[in-house]
Amino acid sequence: MAASTLPRTVTLQDGRTIELLMLEVSDCLGLVEFYRTLPEQDREVLKDDVTTKEWADRFLRKVATKEIVCLVAKDGDKVVGEASLYRTLHGWTKHVGEIRLTIARSHRRQGLGLAMAGTLVKIATDIGIEKLLVNMVENQLGSRRTFEKLGFQKEAVLPRHVKDISGTKRDLIIMANDVSQIWAAMETMVQDYQPHRD
Amino acid sequence: MAKTEIRLGGLGGQGVILCASIIGKCASIFGGKQATLIQAFGPEARGSACSAQVILSDEAIGYPYVKTPDILVLMSQDAYNQFIPQLKPEGLVLYEEELVALDGKLPKGAKAVGIPATRFAEELGRRLVLNIVMVGFFAGATGLVSWEAIEQAVKSSVPKGTEELNLKALKKGYDYGREHSTQLK
Repeated sequence: MAASTLPRTVTLQDGRTIELLMLEVSDCLGLVEFYRTLPEQDREVLKDDVTTKEWADRFLRKVATKEIVCLVAKDGDKVVGEASLYRTLHGWTKHVGEIRLTIARSHRRQGLGLAMAGTLVKIATDIGIEKLLVNMVENQLGSRRTFEKLGFQKEAVLPRHVKDISGTKRDLIIMANDVSQIWAAMETMVQDYQPHRD
Repeated sequence: MAKTEIRLGGLGGQGVILCASIIGKCASIFGGKQATLIQAFGPEARGSACSAQVILSDEAIGYPYVKTPDILVLMSQDAYNQFIPQLKPEGLVLYEEELVALDGKLPKGAKAVGIPATRFAEELGRRLVLNIVMVGFFAGATGLVSWEAIEQAVKSSVPKGTEELNLKALKKGYDYGREHSTQLK
């Protein structure tokens, strides 16, 4: 799913139709509003304070410089999900991207997260990202299943690395997907090599 | 479809065999025709001559080798030099125009159409899909197989996760072929 094929419509398991599209500047207010309406428990697992104008400005700047590829899900005019690919444009990890995904509670367990994350994985491979990472807390089982379906595997565990709203320390799980393997298979196919030849 | 003999040639690593296989699969499995494929390699798998012979027909094919092709699909100068003398009079050459230079050896009455397939593949993001651009070009320029059949053949032939870019490459080649097919009339 290349960025050029967006927007597209996905039908959730309960029949609702949601539009997936690349973030436009005009969507930014809707995105901030989406984050402001998230329950605090959901916001606390995010790396940034996403309810501030400063965050929105910083975020948009990085979208403009392509350090972030941001996909939003809209139910009508309302943003109900955000999936972003974070990457560095220089240095020794420029082949690596990190996916961050947030879905409104009202739209979870309906296949939206899988559709958004799957779309980002395809965009990432199209722009040359070779390895994808996603961080999650040990008890985010739904997210873990979603990313496992997309080929992500547990790569590292940082024990007692995050502290939740009640003060409980939990393990942070880093899942990874070596997406370069997808195209390695194609590369093998075009080598025109067959061990048994006439 | 009358019996059509096709010779594909290029370098190892360009995906010549996959290209031939998809054309054959498209005509047979997804197009209801008969097809055969014979492949040949140079001494090295990569960087040396590689070619394939495909026959498409409505009827059973008794002899699978191509001696005088109706169509040449060429992706290297060596392949051009080697196979152009075999082309039938009034045959068709589909060639990668940045890798093959035509000369006076083209048989009288033969037609040739080029495509910058490598450049298209690079513009799409991966040079690797050059062969799929050529598959699309073949389908679009000759009209021997339908879009639906070639689309199915590509989808079922490429690795999972690469379908989208491969289909874009196919469409790019197909549209270019359709656009330039008027040169063949």
